[in-house]
Amino acid sequence: MNTSRRDFVALSLAATTLQTNLAMAQDWHNSPTGLVERFAQLGITDILGAAISQREKTDRFRTLFKDFFDIPTIGRFVLARFVRSATPEENEKFAALFEDVIVYTWSRRFGEYKGQSLKVKDSGPDGDDGALVTSDIVGNDGQSFGVAWRLRKRETGYRVVDVIVEGVSMAITYRQEYATIIQQNGGMAGLLAQMQKQVNDLKAKVG
Amino acid sequence: MIAIRTFKSPQHRVGWPWQKKNVKSLRSFKDLSFSVLTMMLARNLVSRFPALAVVCMVLAISGCATKPPASDPAARAAFQETNDQLEPFNRAMFGVDQTLDAILIRPVVSTYRFIVPEPGRRGVDNFLRNLRSPITFANSLLQGNVKRAGSTLGRFIVNSTVGVLGFADIAADLGTPYQYEDFGQTLATWGVSDISYLYVPVFGPMSIRDGFGMAVDNYVFDPVTWYDYGKNPGWVKWSYFGALLIDVKSETMTATDELKASSIDYYAALRSAYRQNRAKEIRNGAAAPAPKFTSGEDDPFAAPPAQK
Repeated sequence: MNTSRRDFVALSLAATTLQTNLAMAQDWHNSPTGLVERFAQLGITDILGAAISQREKTDRFRTLFKDFFDIPTIGRFVLARFVRSATPEENEKFAALFEDVIVYTWSRRFGEYKGQSLKVKDSGPDGDDGALVTSDIVGNDGQSFGVAWRLRKRETGYRVVDVIVEGVSMAITYRQEYATIIQQNGGMAGLLAQMQKQVNDLKAKVG
Repeated sequence: MIAIRTFKSPQHRVGWPWQKKNVKSLRSFKDLSFSVLTMMLARNLVSRFPALAVVCMVLAISGCATKPPASDPAARAAFQETNDQLEPFNRAMFGVDQTLDAILIRPVVSTYRFIVPEPGRRGVDNFLRNLRSPITFANSLLQGNVKRAGSTLGRFIVNSTVGVLGFADIAADLGTPYQYEDFGQTLATWGVSDISYLYVPVFGPMSIRDGFGMAVDNYVFDPVTWYDYGKNPGWVKWSYFGALLIDVKSETMTATDELKASSIDYYAALRSAYRQNRAKEIRNGAAAPAPKFTSGEDDPFAAPPAQK
């Protein structure tokens, strides 16, 4: 009797904690600035500053990236008009390769981390149901550069759809580069082959 | 060492036979046409690889990109987005630039970065930025931005005195950050289109409008040109140009290396990144409007109906 009662108290306590945790999780997924801050925080503590192998860092980054970014939307934006002319298999292959390209290009530079931190400055409305969060990445030498995060609201909260560094949008840069490749270098099949090669090269470098 | 000597050699080759007779008019012509330097660097390169000259010439003649037909509006819109009318020519120039970069510029810049530590490089960057204050001042006025002209003047006075000839950017610490205006931006605010993307070896990505703007800034507003004008043998100008080149390449090396490593078609990626960054400069740093699909109707980042 006594024990089961204690168990019940413990259980309800645990449930409350879990609920608060969930609520907190909901909180940052529903606040544009909170989402960006959380992404930077997790990125620094769990990946950049963590004492783990490069391979593990890459895996963790992939999980984090999938959780905070709307990758399918970015992929569609990048392919733009070619989404319609490509076959479903090509689109599927592109989505997988595009994710790999970003995961490996970012993780290639994890070793260069020198204690930079991210300071969120402001957030404003953007697009139909999104937000544009502005931030500064500040280095130890006091030098900083501006990074803006374009977010869109999805069923489970905000997701990042673009990162803009000094006015240069990642999504637009990929879109214009890939459009050039598709047109001049063997169409969609050509692009996929070159992306595959790039991923293999990057993988070999990252280790 | 070889690289450094090669870099200096254009100075000795300047001596055109007729230059001494009418130094003034020809010097001004030289200043106006920035491309002379490119020509000399090209001459350097061509003397090593004669075939290159032929390749360049052929491409320069057949250099125009084909515009997609009006029946394909999406392709046409994408063509206008990058606005690279001279793509074949530009790609050839880009190739020349990358070769020059590998054999000449990069070794010099790497040596500079090795010898001079980061605070020193910052000082040099500050000094050169301060030196071009008159260009930003004049162009701010031409853009009708009196406030910006005023703060540029303020920065110039503070940094030239308290900041020891501009080596320390005291004004930024006091809350007036560096501002950059040029005649290309002025033309853009006047509604002049960039005509076409242009890649010039050594100078890097630009547009026809901005290349013209650069010549105007150099010839009309640059204090170093005024000093140099018909007065001395021109070494000030050349040293200034060399310092500018090394400083700019050193400041942008990390970013361009990263872009090169993360792209498949580096030329296309650099073109896109440069044009976006340039648009930001013209907007004076204001946030970019949310991108639209070429149809201009929907939010391109909207979730597809199936996902909603």
